[in-house]
Amino acid sequence: MLSFLLRRLLQTIPTVLAVVLLVFVLFSVVPGSIVSSMSDDSDPQVELRMKKQLGLDDPLYLRFGVYIAKLVTGDFGTSFRTREPVTTMIAKRAWPTLQLIFTAMTFAILIGVPLGFIAALKPGGIVDTLAMVLAVSGLSIAKFWLGLVLMYLFALKLGWLPSFGYGDGGLKYLLLPAVTLGVSPMALFARTTRAAVLEIMTADFVRTARSKGMSETRVVKWHVMRNALVIILTTVGLQFGGLMGQAVVVEKLFSWPGIGSLLVDSVLQRDIPAVQGSILVVVLAFLAINLLIDVLYGVIDPRIRYA
Amino acid sequence: MKLRANLIIGGALFALAILVGLLAPWLAHTDPVLDANLMNAEEPPSWTWWFGTDDQGRDIYSRVVYGARVSLTVGIVSQLINSVIGVALGLSAGYWGGWWDDFVNGLTNLMLAIPSLIFALAIMAVLGPGLTSLLIALGLTNWSFTCRIARASALSLRSQGYVQAATVLGYGDLRIMITQLLPNMLGPIVVIGTLGMGSAVLSEAALSFLGLGVRPPFPSWGSMLSDAREQITTAPWLSVFPGLAIFLTVLGLNLLGDGLRDILDPQSRSRRT
Amino acid sequence: MIKSLIGMPALLGEHMMFRMIAIVAGLGLALAAPAETQAPRKGGTIRMTAPYGSSFTSLDIHTTQRAQDEIYAKALHRSLYIWNSAEGKPVLELAKEDVVSGGGLVHTFKLRDDAYFHNGRKMTADDVIWSYNRIMDGTKAYPGARFVRVIEGAAAVEKGQAKEISGLKKIDDFTVEMKLTEKVDPGFYFFTALTSIYPADEAAKESFIQKPIGLGPFKFVEHVPGSRIVLERWDRFYKPGKPYADKVIVSIMGEAAARDVAFRNKEIDTSVLGPAQYVAYQSDADLKGTIVEVAEVFTRYMGMNPSFKPFTDKRVRQAINYAIDTDLIINKLVKGKAYRATSWLPLTSPAYDKAMKPYPYDPAKAKQLLSEAGYPSGFEFEWTTSQNESWGLPIVSAVIPMLDKVGIKAKVKQVETAVLAEVVRSGDYQAFIYSQATGPDPQAALKCFHSSTPQPACNYMNYKNADFDKLIDAAGQADDAAKRTELLQKANALLYEEAPVWFFNYNKAVMAVQPWLKGVQLNATELTHQNVEDLWVDETSPAK
Repeated sequence: MLSFLLRRLLQTIPTVLAVVLLVFVLFSVVPGSIVSSMSDDSDPQVELRMKKQLGLDDPLYLRFGVYIAKLVTGDFGTSFRTREPVTTMIAKRAWPTLQLIFTAMTFAILIGVPLGFIAALKPGGIVDTLAMVLAVSGLSIAKFWLGLVLMYLFALKLGWLPSFGYGDGGLKYLLLPAVTLGVSPMALFARTTRAAVLEIMTADFVRTARSKGMSETRVVKWHVMRNALVIILTTVGLQFGGLMGQAVVVEKLFSWPGIGSLLVDSVLQRDIPAVQGSILVVVLAFLAINLLIDVLYGVIDPRIRYA
Repeated sequence: MKLRANLIIGGALFALAILVGLLAPWLAHTDPVLDANLMNAEEPPSWTWWFGTDDQGRDIYSRVVYGARVSLTVGIVSQLINSVIGVALGLSAGYWGGWWDDFVNGLTNLMLAIPSLIFALAIMAVLGPGLTSLLIALGLTNWSFTCRIARASALSLRSQGYVQAATVLGYGDLRIMITQLLPNMLGPIVVIGTLGMGSAVLSEAALSFLGLGVRPPFPSWGSMLSDAREQITTAPWLSVFPGLAIFLTVLGLNLLGDGLRDILDPQSRSRRT
Repeated sequence: MIKSLIGMPALLGEHMMFRMIAIVAGLGLALAAPAETQAPRKGGTIRMTAPYGSSFTSLDIHTTQRAQDEIYAKALHRSLYIWNSAEGKPVLELAKEDVVSGGGLVHTFKLRDDAYFHNGRKMTADDVIWSYNRIMDGTKAYPGARFVRVIEGAAAVEKGQAKEISGLKKIDDFTVEMKLTEKVDPGFYFFTALTSIYPADEAAKESFIQKPIGLGPFKFVEHVPGSRIVLERWDRFYKPGKPYADKVIVSIMGEAAARDVAFRNKEIDTSVLGPAQYVAYQSDADLKGTIVEVAEVFTRYMGMNPSFKPFTDKRVRQAINYAIDTDLIINKLVKGKAYRATSWLPLTSPAYDKAMKPYPYDPAKAKQLLSEAGYPSGFEFEWTTSQNESWGLPIVSAVIPMLDKVGIKAKVKQVETAVLAEVVRSGDYQAFIYSQATGPDPQAALKCFHSSTPQPACNYMNYKNADFDKLIDAAGQADDAAKRTELLQKANALLYEEAPVWFFNYNKAVMAVQPWLKGVQLNATELTHQNVEDLWVDETSPAK
């Protein structure tokens, strides 16, 4: 177990280095720079000095070397824009994004999994068809559009929820962005749960269990639930990346102060250290979550070995 | 029962979208770009303007019709690039193994770890807005699933008798991969490709929202939808029709993908995509 | 400056109500009519929005010149001067008087002795001198350097040749002498937040960027990056009885559609409106009364590269001005949210010439001019644009068919705003569409076309014209304000004739303001920049 963890951690190092290099190369050829994005009024003297101060004129290998050297010590560099350490910036944004993603996932699981279960009980029935139409629809809608519609409906027309912002970070503020973000994984949960339940119900070990005289509820409880958990975990792991991508759109729409909106802003304004830092943090989070999930597999189903 | 409904409805919707795109010059009433007349700006839907007009006075019906070309091009071409990259890398990695396999595996892990929309956003920033950039950005960032599937099938097929036989007969590696392995993994790859087209159409809309989409004035559904978002209360027809076009096309592709999966890839209904 | 609007009601849109607002504003009164009779209420919360992007750049206001950041800085910081919207010019803020000597080059400022920083320390001459020296730190590239550079010896500090600005002298704790390099009004140089006065001891500390300290009417409470800045009343603010409100919240809301919902839902007190919402609010009985508008000192134009063959000919440039139905675009596409541009200087500029008429829409004349210039069948050019809704892609899309009618084919090249700014500075374009600040100082605005102004500074069309240079130089030497204005008007007229650009429009800034928020000022330099101490909310505000 320990050696498994260690090996997995070591495996992430090349991935992380590759991400850093990739973003570095991309943003070394990007047109425009922080200097020109700061304002439309310009002063050539200040701009030249700014480029020099930010090291934008240095050769790429030098910048990359300096960055890696700092990164090893946990220093993500200093933001071009805010002139504060990128780690501080990201630390302030991490919690709102975590809240958003966690809430979206919770919503997706709470709605999607039962939906898939119910659908699988009578495959081909009315409930099944409706549930699957709903699920496919959830996958087929543009998220910013859905968010706007929800905003109009629940904030403006019904007046139940605030339309934007972080507020005190409470559920009231979280709900609309989280639902917007959670619709796609909800649909996926419904579909995968349905498929898995259907498959498992006809699988050999369930039939064996039945033949051994286990009651229907116990069969469902033991085998189906446990296998469903594995599916949920897998989907969570795979969905995390997509969810982070969608969070960029949702955070921007709802003025949610997370890593996603930091990332878009930093890309549009060419704040390279901030882009680098936020992409790196997203990647690290993805790797960490997937590692955690692999560990959890073993907890849920001891038959799974760490190979 | 259900399989057929998936396939028929999905296939019909997708075919309709393609047909509209192909026949655009005949279906459209006006030129989607040049026939702008500010005197007709923001007319609601009527007999003259089926879907209404936009704030430039352009016929939305004609723009939606022409938009099919751009949006479907984005969906199909970018997914084609993804499929080709994914199959080429996955197939060769699974067949050859060794350091190449390790390398491809590392690359796939890298691609999985960076959310594709974020990656595409970064590439768009480098290339600038426009159709070609969009095809490249979306075509380079979504091949990891295809690659994994291709690799896994190649691994399992490699030891099959007929592949071994082909090796004995002195077939070259490339020939074996293309004639022996590829046909046997096409099913799941087509399924992933179909679903991927739908997500590419949605990604185009998301990138438009973030300000890095197709270069107008040529309309894409995503850019039309994104441009119309401020007028959602005052001129809802601006967003309803492109929004519906996206929804129905992606819905069609998703249904089609499901239907194809049931036929082509029956043993892996529970495969997580 | 706004007074000049009174003479031109025809320019003010179709609705009588807006005309009234402009006239009231022109008289230098507060905007909302009842405000005159109602005593300002103490307490309450002002909820402003920052609409230009989804974050603030920095809490160190010396480092950023984005309009977005100055919105909060207006509450937190103070500079030597402040923009007075009613008078349309900068006025003394942190000084009580300014005695001019030395042939107009030496200014002796008698500073306030009742201005306290938010840590309770009194501001002195040392803080002013320290702040200006900080801005000139050449290793840091503070954008305010271009303003402070007008002080003698500042440039030497910037280059590292001197430690302190020689032209700044402390006479006593509350008196500063400032020697300038040019005969200019220092007000135009020292009124923005870029030259805010910082507390010398505190600002040097590491913690300052997390918890800034200023002289403004409100002190810093919290910043949730990407979401909001919260400020609370500073009780020792130097203006008696002010500020009125207890709290100011500035929410960051870059997404216009979301801002619209939040404003209708009464979650925010101010919102900036784009053309589409401008029309929607006008036609909505509940929202109509919330609209506040002002002619801002920005000119929108299409710049033409003089080294691109067809554009070297004045007749071609004029033809483009004739070929575009600018009024139609302004009325239909921009929805009347702009004032037709005649030449470079905007309506609110003191050197604006009311007698001048814009280029009429005359495609026949355009064709004739093109033939004379040797392009009877037109030509093709590439037009670089951002996707900005007021001076970007939608405008370009509307112009393309109009130019097409006279045979000119325009190919669109869309880039991001950050890239456009670079394209414009480097001259790497055939044509571009842009919005440029053309005020408040008309001389500075026109100087952009002076041949001595480098292209990356603001001479984006790399314009060179000896007659124009002469007029601008003469205006710089003129001692008499009326004479200077006359010369500047001539220079502006010359630009009209030369047509280095397609003169599109002057921005009409439009803000929606909830009925309970009073004391909004019509700031022609940037409508969202409000002197927050003059704002107050009545008891109908839903905010606690």
